[in-house]
Amino acid sequence: MGKKFLRFEFLLLFAVFIIATCGLVYELVAGTLASYLLGDSVKQFSFIIGVYLFSMGIGSFFSKFFHKNLLNTFVEIEILVGLIGGLSSVILFLLFESVEYFQFILYLLVFITGFLVGLEIPLLMNILKDKVEFRDLVSNVFTFDYIGALLASILFPLILIPKLGIMGTSLFFGMINVSIAIALCFLLKRELKNSYFLKTKAIFSFAVLLGVFIFSDKILDYSEGKLYGENIIYTNSTQYQRIVLTHNKSDYRLYLNNNLQFSSADEYRYHEALVHPAMSIAKNVKHVLVLGGGDGLAVREILKYKEVQKITLVDLDQGMTKLFKTNKVLTDFNKGALNNPKVTVINTDAYIWAKSCKEKFDVVIIDFPDPSNYSLGKLYSLNFYQTIKAILETDAAVVIQTTSPYFAPKSFWCINKTVMQVFSQVDAYHAYVPSFGEWGYTIAINGFGTTFNTINRKAPGLKFYNYQFDRFNYFTTDMISNEIEINRLDNQILVRYFDEEWGKLQ
Amino acid sequence: MFRLSGTNHLLGHRLWIRDFPKPTNEIHIPYLIVGGGISGLSAARQFHKKGISDFILLELEGHLGGNSSNGENQYSKFPLGAHYLPLPNLKDKELLQFLEEEKIILSYDQKGFPVFDELQLSFAPDERLFYKNNWQDGVVPKEGNSKEEDLEFQRFFRQMDAFREGKGNDEKFLFDIPLYLSSEDIAIRNLDKITMKKWFENNNFKTKPLFDYIDYCCKDDFGLGIEYVSAWAGIHYFAARKQDATTDKKESVLTWPEGNARLASHLKKYTDGKTLKNHLVYEVRVENHKVIAKAFDDVKKVSVEIIADKVIMATPQFVNQYLIKDRKEFTKGFHYTPWLLASLTVTNLSDNFSFPLSWDNVIYEAKGLGYVYDQHQSLNQVQEKKVITYYYSFSSADLRKSRKELYKKSKDYWKQFVFDDLKIAHPDIEDCTEQMEVFLLGHGMVSPVPGFIFGEAKKEASKNIQNAIYFAHTDLSGISIFEEAFHHGINVVNQILDDTALDS
Repeated sequence: MGKKFLRFEFLLLFAVFIIATCGLVYELVAGTLASYLLGDSVKQFSFIIGVYLFSMGIGSFFSKFFHKNLLNTFVEIEILVGLIGGLSSVILFLLFESVEYFQFILYLLVFITGFLVGLEIPLLMNILKDKVEFRDLVSNVFTFDYIGALLASILFPLILIPKLGIMGTSLFFGMINVSIAIALCFLLKRELKNSYFLKTKAIFSFAVLLGVFIFSDKILDYSEGKLYGENIIYTNSTQYQRIVLTHNKSDYRLYLNNNLQFSSADEYRYHEALVHPAMSIAKNVKHVLVLGGGDGLAVREILKYKEVQKITLVDLDQGMTKLFKTNKVLTDFNKGALNNPKVTVINTDAYIWAKSCKEKFDVVIIDFPDPSNYSLGKLYSLNFYQTIKAILETDAAVVIQTTSPYFAPKSFWCINKTVMQVFSQVDAYHAYVPSFGEWGYTIAINGFGTTFNTINRKAPGLKFYNYQFDRFNYFTTDMISNEIEINRLDNQILVRYFDEEWGKLQ
Repeated sequence: MFRLSGTNHLLGHRLWIRDFPKPTNEIHIPYLIVGGGISGLSAARQFHKKGISDFILLELEGHLGGNSSNGENQYSKFPLGAHYLPLPNLKDKELLQFLEEEKIILSYDQKGFPVFDELQLSFAPDERLFYKNNWQDGVVPKEGNSKEEDLEFQRFFRQMDAFREGKGNDEKFLFDIPLYLSSEDIAIRNLDKITMKKWFENNNFKTKPLFDYIDYCCKDDFGLGIEYVSAWAGIHYFAARKQDATTDKKESVLTWPEGNARLASHLKKYTDGKTLKNHLVYEVRVENHKVIAKAFDDVKKVSVEIIADKVIMATPQFVNQYLIKDRKEFTKGFHYTPWLLASLTVTNLSDNFSFPLSWDNVIYEAKGLGYVYDQHQSLNQVQEKKVITYYYSFSSADLRKSRKELYKKSKDYWKQFVFDDLKIAHPDIEDCTEQMEVFLLGHGMVSPVPGFIFGEAKKEASKNIQNAIYFAHTDLSGISIFEEAFHHGINVVNQILDDTALDS
């Protein structure tokens, strides 16, 4: 009898140890994930630990309402913790897309795990209270609890995350959790009521976790992780492109079809240089058109001018603009620009749209992908710029992102020369964006009522552009190319230049 | 979905039986044009330019355009015949004038070169060739040739350049458009007596890629390959276009999703309210200095008699022989190549990415002439579905036999035929195809066999009848290209008006 009881007590205490380890692992997983995805790790860890401990307290409080079948309840909770804790990271990864609810779900999961773990310790003490001296019971339970916590916090950063990755870790511990429940079902079948049913539940849960564990590689897509060398926190293939968002230290990077679109660390340089020269030069800025730029970052800059009454953004990819309207991380970058009431987002082909457009604009910001294929090349053609001219007010300003004058001078000056065929005043300028290198723009004025050195208005609080245009339009010899042809739909010479110049870099 | 259609050969073939009802209606009109292809439409335009509006035009089909017609599905328009116009020769003022009227030429630059509308010039990339398992830029086989093959190509093109620039003792270009402007030097005209293949051999050419390339070009313009086509015609393909209308991209062409149906639609406006469609003319004769033409209205199933002062037969000679007496004998000298066109709607056209999808996509050693990407002139970034038109000409020694084969073989046979030919470059084309519309042209175009262009049959067929019945059709040139039809239409009207002025 005594020997058997010893085994009973030992088993349950071992369970406590595992629960404590697993519980803390889930907590660490949640904290890590939150700082990965949302940034600001101090805040994330602090909140998560707080919520976790608090919910443990709530769990402890509610433990007093359990009177019957305590052992059964204990095993059931064990299964539940394993399942929820184990799947938590997978759920969070998958739900990051619809990030409006992301933080709610994150804390809900932390709360549930904490709550269940909080229930277990008092339950266990109730189970054992008649069988063990109270003094021993309290001392043993808390000893194992804290040893488990220590083990978890040491293993987590040193072994678990490097070896198993974040999803693997939580799934692996979920399986340990559930396997303890399975072991209890077998070893304590006499003490348990309806142990067969419990066993089935436990084994089924284990199978689920194992299944997800095997496929977790696919979910995370390690290959991409290697490609980017940064943590991938979001991927989505829209009808037109593959969007990948990565996070590394404090820097988020967005890639479209594996091309860097922006880095959160220095995108302000690119977007301030793109938007503010044209905005300050144009005669009026009441109605602004943005072509491309579905990330809303150019719109964010435009909104800094109070005079702006209406912004029309035309981007082909609804998946892209939707993401930048709803995703919490991304709306933090663009300051919710795409949700601003002044902004109208139109998801359609910009060329076709411009051909049939009846409105006229004061400023046009053209932020298309580089002309890396014949389809994109059309958006840099003579006919395209003629089409744009037809929807401009007099003395409107147009600015075009025109790739790097350092890496691709022929491409850069080809676009510039093509624009010169259409507009009365054309200039070029460039800015240094660390994640891109030297980056360039072509700017044009539709008339003679303003000049590139005119400053009709300024926006407050810029970090990079200082409204001294003539500080940006000087090009050193290594960024100049002569003997360039004009890009037309029937020659698409730009795509050939671009391929020649960027092709050799790869 | 699979559909098979073609020119209205069933109605046309009633000319053999001539079981038409007696005319119940009479129309009196000074000028009648029979046939609504480019020749007939161009004649209508010329009447208009000369201030004449009292003419009517009769057309057998339910639409105008002839070989410059088109089809359309939910994704794109597509050609049902001719699909491009090479840049005109700078000397061809009539054509330049027309292109300017229709805003295809927008202006002239300071040096006097026409500025073409960018949207109507074929977009880059315009041509690619599937050669040695790779797509390559342009239709001339280049990558992977031997030294000898390259040298032959160079020598061939040098010879063509000389033919292009060369003038005869009469100071006329050796080869020109319209064709009748070409030099009358006998040495050059003798090239019409041999086949292009014979010329190839006489000039000591030996390599297969060059042979195949010339064969492709001959079929592309004349339907007939290098073995059957006249050498004069074969060289005309390379040498008649002077490529002097631009300073760059000299070999560019004008093209539209619907092909030359665009040009036909520009010309159609001159026939508004003056056209009787679904009308098969079955008899034309001169009586008391008037022309009596009888036509069968295929919709109302009645016949009508038209009494005109002058008639322009803008119809091919294989038709005219049944309408006008004493024409069968020389019509035997006219040969017409059947054509098959297939427009496919495909979910994708992925291949090995060696060169991107172009306007004209030619497959080396295929039976057909490759395919045209019908949405190439679209400004869109992406196309949900792609529509392509495959071209095949029945080049053979016995075109009559080929024509029979065209109509005898089953729908499924031609469908598989098209798939098998495209599979050389697109192995999964059959799985990617959602729709196919096959269009058969029994008499696709006149074919310049040796001796035809400068022969007696053509000369006989071109003569007007009692200054009342005139003839205008590309088969009277011997090559079926837009420019010839366009000039026939203009010239025939000018001729009629000159003759009338002389009469009075």
